Amino acid sequence: MSRVITREVVQGLYKHTGTARVDVDVAASFKVGDTIRARNINPTGHTRLPRYIRGKQGQVAVDHGVFQFADSLAHSSGKQPQHLYSVRFTAREIWGADVPAQDSLYIDLWDDYLESA
Amino acid sequence: MNSIHDMGGMHGYGPIVREEDEPVFHHEWEGKALALARIALAGGHFNLDEFRHVQERMPPAHYLTIRYYERWLEGTVAMLVEKGVITAEEYAARLAELSGEAS
Amino acid sequence: MTSDEDVALRVRALESLLLEKGLVESPAIDEIIDLFENRMGPQNGARVIVRAWTDPDFKARLLANASDAIVEMGYDAVQGEDMVVVENTRAVHNLVVCTLCSCFPWATLGLPPVWYKSAPYRSRAASDPRGVLAEFGTAIADEAEVRVWDSNAELRYMVLPEQPAGTDGMSEDELLALVTRDSMIGVTRALEAPAP
Repeated sequence: MSRVITREVVQGLYKHTGTARVDVDVAASFKVGDTIRARNINPTGHTRLPRYIRGKQGQVAVDHGVFQFADSLAHSSGKQPQHLYSVRFTAREIWGADVPAQDSLYIDLWDDYLESA
Repeated sequence: MNSIHDMGGMHGYGPIVREEDEPVFHHEWEGKALALARIALAGGHFNLDEFRHVQERMPPAHYLTIRYYERWLEGTVAMLVEKGVITAEEYAARLAELSGEAS
Repeated sequence: MTSDEDVALRVRALESLLLEKGLVESPAIDEIIDLFENRMGPQNGARVIVRAWTDPDFKARLLANASDAIVEMGYDAVQGEDMVVVENTRAVHNLVVCTLCSCFPWATLGLPPVWYKSAPYRSRAASDPRGVLAEFGTAIADEAEVRVWDSNAELRYMVLPEQPAGTDGMSEDELLALVTRDSMIGVTRALEAPAP
């Protein structure tokens, strides 16, 4: 490891510790209100795009701003900072007609996970 | 990867089992396992995403049956070995030494 | 399943190697355990909730930018850097899960309970939240919207439960006693006011 982990280091870590935000200007591909589709990707490596949401259509509810990308960081491919959006899906879109019409699911999706619908 | 950790929407896992007044750690080893994982992360030789992914790569039956902090321990050891911080041999040797003392 | 003795030995083996290599000092290990056992926990989140119940300006700030509001209260610890607080109302009931692992707002709630990290919860909270809520004994109006938040990325979610009826004017301590960890995850509501 690159440094000895002492009590002081630990104390420092547990205050204002690692945000995953990246302070860099990156263009957003989407904006609040856009209808998007979660891509149907099936990487053999790390991804935070669950199978249940792939190919489903939703609406961008919030643009959280620019964050480091988990999929690339897990494979030493750098932060690849990009916009992370809170996307709303109806429960029926994901699970079919047997769930209540008004129920919903929100999930945070990076720009790379999305395409226009 | 499309492994067993991606379980949203799966069926068949049974009822949600809850423990009344659950302690933060059930055993001392749980707290130590958590602490060593966080320390290894703080040391900077692997990141949280790599740590999650090494767990995702465990065989499905193992992932499902191993206890949570034990999975963290195994993930920490696997990452430290992968990154060359410790070797599998020295870990095995230390374990054998401690097991010998314990018996 | 391996025995506790077995796992404890394997933990000791790792600990002793790291100490021997000078990569960590013992007090650091003790510090982390103490932090999670004694200092982080839902008692912190409860204070955030009670302040939101009693201070409308704070509530507005909390819902607009939870990260900053939580820093304001001094709970800006690990896994709390990027927070979102979602409000329960008569019309909307929120439920938080991490289907992919166990992501949880440590900064306000401490470590998650075993059930939150378990396959039964992780699998069904997303697809059958009303069934999960029923299992916890939480009744939801048919016409209400149930919203599930899957904490799959870097944001951590906490629920602002509805303030229970008949609790206006209660002291802070009385209100704190009504805010449970489960109500801040969304599987239950806050506790009812005790009978007079």
